[in-house]
Amino acid sequence: MPLSTQSQADIDQYILIASLDNARNLSNILKAISFKDHAIFNATQNGLKVTVEDSKCLQANAFIQADIFQEYTIKEDAVGFQVNLTVLLDCLTIFGGSTVPGVCTALRMCYNGYGYPLTLFLEEGGVVTVCKINTQEPEEPIDFDFCSTNVTNKVILQSDSLKEAFSELDMTSEVLQITMSPSHPYFRLSTFGNSGNAHYDYPKDSDMMELFQCTKLQTNRYKMSLLKPSTKALALSCKVSVRTDSRGFLSLQYLVRNDDGQICFVEYYCCPDEEVGEE
Amino acid sequence: MKCIIEGNGIKVFGKAVHALSRISEEIWLDPLEEGLAVRTVNSSQSAYACFFFTPLFFQQYIPDPDTQKDCEAVKCKLNTKCVLPLFRCVSWRERSVDRCEITIKNPDSRVIFQFHCRHGITKTHNLGYQECEALQAVFPAHLCPNVLKSHSKLLGDIVVHFPISQEEVTLSISSLKVALKTFYEEENSCIKGMNTELMLHPDEFDYFQVGEDSAVTFCLKELRGLLSFAESYGLPVSCHFGVAGQPVSFTVKDMMLEAHVVLSTLTDPDHESPSQSAPGDDCSVTISKTSTVEISTSEGPMEAEVCIADGERVASSQGSEVFHPALHMRKMIQLHAPGEILPRPSLAPESALTTPITPATFKIRSLLFGAVLSDGVDGNTADLPSLVCGSDTEEDGGSEEGHR
Repeated sequence: MPLSTQSQADIDQYILIASLDNARNLSNILKAISFKDHAIFNATQNGLKVTVEDSKCLQANAFIQADIFQEYTIKEDAVGFQVNLTVLLDCLTIFGGSTVPGVCTALRMCYNGYGYPLTLFLEEGGVVTVCKINTQEPEEPIDFDFCSTNVTNKVILQSDSLKEAFSELDMTSEVLQITMSPSHPYFRLSTFGNSGNAHYDYPKDSDMMELFQCTKLQTNRYKMSLLKPSTKALALSCKVSVRTDSRGFLSLQYLVRNDDGQICFVEYYCCPDEEVGEE
Repeated sequence: MKCIIEGNGIKVFGKAVHALSRISEEIWLDPLEEGLAVRTVNSSQSAYACFFFTPLFFQQYIPDPDTQKDCEAVKCKLNTKCVLPLFRCVSWRERSVDRCEITIKNPDSRVIFQFHCRHGITKTHNLGYQECEALQAVFPAHLCPNVLKSHSKLLGDIVVHFPISQEEVTLSISSLKVALKTFYEEENSCIKGMNTELMLHPDEFDYFQVGEDSAVTFCLKELRGLLSFAESYGLPVSCHFGVAGQPVSFTVKDMMLEAHVVLSTLTDPDHESPSQSAPGDDCSVTISKTSTVEISTSEGPMEAEVCIADGERVASSQGSEVFHPALHMRKMIQLHAPGEILPRPSLAPESALTTPITPATFKIRSLLFGAVLSDGVDGNTADLPSLVCGSDTEEDGGSEEGHR
């Protein structure tokens, strides 16, 4: 295959090499967090973590483990850089997004280190494209300080049920209110729009509810504009976990299966809207 | 008012809302003893639709849950844009929605649509409403000389030949045939686009009655909603009409519901219908006080309001014992000199329904709706009566609406 005709010297200088037989296994999951132009890449032995942030209130992370890649070599403990995610996605889908079965784009992603561009070798049907994308100094992602010990309420739902609700959400509402409680209404999504308000209630014994661990009544509001991008991740996922901590911070974790059935994770962290505190 | 719709009924209700949304942006909910009337009228008052659901349609129907006898069921007006999304994706909804509860909560001014879905999920929508007078048009369909009745599929097959953008069509009838064709304004102008004409033999219809050869022109767009509703349920459609200028009504009926669309038709400048005597012209007429449909006018041009006096009962115009169609028909055709002042509600009912002469210019006119896009009428537009009661004022003051 053409990609392997690189000289050994070239290969030696890369501090990170990641290859996929199907580039969609990377591009699909990156689309789920592509609400902003810039993404911070952080590669470790475990795999790749890509972070996108918005206005210091929202953070999305995509995790692609090392074993998803057909080849994954990393020569340092941690490799970090920042790239334009829109450009990266355009390159990954450079052969068009066709889903003709049996035809897929192969990818080899290589990085020389600080100051070097991110190099992508993409091949489909014998045609090879080389893309070099400029990298920037990686910003430090915000630490939302969301740890399991502080979690007050947690539910795990099958995504299908939430997909319906999110597709119907009243967009004229500025906030999405999430109520979680050990008693009725258990788990409720509420909007307050121009025509009136709407509530979506998921009881704890619903068969869509895989896990229900709520310790106290909590109502938090989040800006709709911040949460709207998470719908992309929801669309790809089969399960989602919704957690809030004592400060009202929201963590949404999506379990995504890629084309080959392998599991990746996407998570969103969101700050509550300041006007309404915890009840 | 509180009602519960189950299973397939939700889909039917959703389709009714879709059909109504083709006509206007507002929906009037009127909970009556006999059932729930959901009505709409377009802004120029040239199209009116009413879907009337009998208690059989519902799993439960309580028009007025308030135990106080004095408290009437609240009539309210909703924005279609708010209601339509709740019934969107109807086919999907049919699979996942088990039950829909609609409640009108008077003290909060909210209509609550609550959907109980599979997996125990509940979706509750609280919509604000405007309280208003009932909207109602009375149309003596059984006095129409021409009646066509056919399966909805036939009408659907006919209408599909007209492009969606086609506004007006002309339906003409004679003892030999029925024709539906594209309507275009000037006879001699070059034909723009495609014109279509379909002719049908009377045998094609399940029921064919021609009392008077005529050709009526009406807006097809507003009818499509009802036709697609009828086609979904395979219901027959009846069409009642008279001569040009008189409204045309389309009705779909089954045990559980009744849907009407009444459309105004263009006046034909060649024969002003006035001097013809209408059937029932010579009937002696009595109107019981409770049935009075009083008419008053509003300040604005082209708008006329009708107040329903207390005790209004008529949900369907046909065969109602309190509504005497003969009078209305006769009065509608009677023409008086322009400038006649229309009565205030306190005047005797008989004088309520007069229509001044309108000049013989080609314009959309409806005897029922009184909305005239007139070029030549000087200052008379405000005097035209309307039998459609649509009160849009913010203060809802019961039947005092008309007092200006």
